[in-house]
Amino acid sequence: MIPFVVFSIRRAWQGFWRNGLMSIAATATMTFMLLLLGGFWIVQSGLSAGLQYVEQKVQVVAYLKDDATQDQVDAAMAGLKQMPEVKQADYVSKNDALTRFRANLAERGQPDLTGSLDTNPLPASIEVYLVDPTDFAAVVAHLDGSPGVDRVDDVQQLVDRVTTVTTVIRTGGIVALILVGLTVLFIIVNTIRLAVTSRAEEIEIMRLVGASDAFIRWPFIFEGALVGLLGALVTLLILAAAAGPLSTLMLGFFRVLPLEFGSLVRDVAILVLVTGVGLGVVGSYVSVRSYLIR
Amino acid sequence: MTLLAGPGIERPAPAATFGAARPVILLRDVTKTYPGGRSALRDVDLTIREGEFVFIVGPSGAGKSTLLKLLIRDEVATEGQVFIDGTDLARLKRREIPKVRRRTGTIFQDFKLLPNRTVWENVAFALEVTGAPRKRIVPDVDRVLALVGLTAQAAQVPTQLSGGEQQRTAIARALVHDPRLIIADEPTGNLDPLISWEIIQLLLRINELGVTVLMATHDAEVVTALRRRVVALEEGRVVRDELGAAYHRED
Repeated sequence: MIPFVVFSIRRAWQGFWRNGLMSIAATATMTFMLLLLGGFWIVQSGLSAGLQYVEQKVQVVAYLKDDATQDQVDAAMAGLKQMPEVKQADYVSKNDALTRFRANLAERGQPDLTGSLDTNPLPASIEVYLVDPTDFAAVVAHLDGSPGVDRVDDVQQLVDRVTTVTTVIRTGGIVALILVGLTVLFIIVNTIRLAVTSRAEEIEIMRLVGASDAFIRWPFIFEGALVGLLGALVTLLILAAAAGPLSTLMLGFFRVLPLEFGSLVRDVAILVLVTGVGLGVVGSYVSVRSYLIR
Repeated sequence: MTLLAGPGIERPAPAATFGAARPVILLRDVTKTYPGGRSALRDVDLTIREGEFVFIVGPSGAGKSTLLKLLIRDEVATEGQVFIDGTDLARLKRREIPKVRRRTGTIFQDFKLLPNRTVWENVAFALEVTGAPRKRIVPDVDRVLALVGLTAQAAQVPTQLSGGEQQRTAIARALVHDPRLIIADEPTGNLDPLISWEIIQLLLRINELGVTVLMATHDAEVVTALRRRVVALEEGRVVRDELGAAYHRED
């Protein structure tokens, strides 16, 4: 068993270098395809993180009556904190609201006229961020029923709009990822098939001199794995070199980095390695098989 | 070049010598019809005994190649039985086919050498793919290369060799398994007459070592000069099977 594995790996290594041009072509195709797949995966993760960011912006706001007591506010807040749909709930006092309003005006460069008011016209409020933006009904009901609450913003329309847009983008992204994945699959398998076909004579000679199927098949499978591994490593090197500009780009384009950049790097590395080696092996197996079955 | 210019031609052994030897090749009522209905062989009966040197002759399309393919189990007979060394090829399990092929050496018109491997590697290849250990491969390859006279060319690749040397490489590869039978499909088809005689000489010597040789050929000069057993095929049938015969019918 061990000598057979050693033989197969040595033969795979020889096969790779003796058919250098074909091997380089196959490895290059593998690299391009893995770059396409890895790149798309990264874009997709960025997109997904961006959408999540947008969705988190959806908040339920309850405006409080000016005569709401601290006890009423505390009771409403305590209720919210116990609800599983709630990610975060903030109390915004009348003063906070005014400060925010002024900051907002200043940011836009508009004149601040609030100084001419005698009283603060802005209501205090409770701002609730949701785990899932579509799960707002219970929160709204709770706030509506709390004493001291004047009115709750109707978030239905906003949520509908946001989720429609994000769902479309998300579905589109997944469909595109599947299409890219299929393209990559077919091109890689075809490239390997081409490389094996160029060695049809070698396979025929092996059969004629009495090589068993395993002795013909395994060197090709290892060679396919080698092409996949090399393609994956080159791809990862290119991605690593591009990581800096890439994250800047993502920050600029999606306004946010994927939640955990570290886990994205790990995911892409696994994706590229598994796809490269896996398709190399499967492509070789399928291609050699058609020569063995006679 | 005259008919008998080939060096060292010997008279064949009398037919009776083979009468008692056991059959290496036995075809019983073999018919081969390819998908699509074209029949390549019809009702062929043929017995070839150990130690024989047999020519298969006939025009292109007569079924020579099909016959050889049946013998190496590249094709399977539609009807009838094909035995090699007593093994019914139709009943072989898939994994047993390589073992039977190892007992038969095959030589082709186009040599079928791997272009990017040396002479030595091409011969060793046949042993490596059967899982032979390295310490057996080295002496065996050296031995057969010496036998075919290619020791000096061992490190060259096929493109550096003449046609005759390439064919000798292929013969060395066929011999390295110590086969009981050599099947040669037009082995001199790509070679000029003088080189052809070299190859024939080599095959005769191998035959003298006790290896049965079956050779399909168009080379009338060689066949007629050697006066061996001749099996003639026409349209898939055996039309002549004579000992000590010429390429063409003489009666």
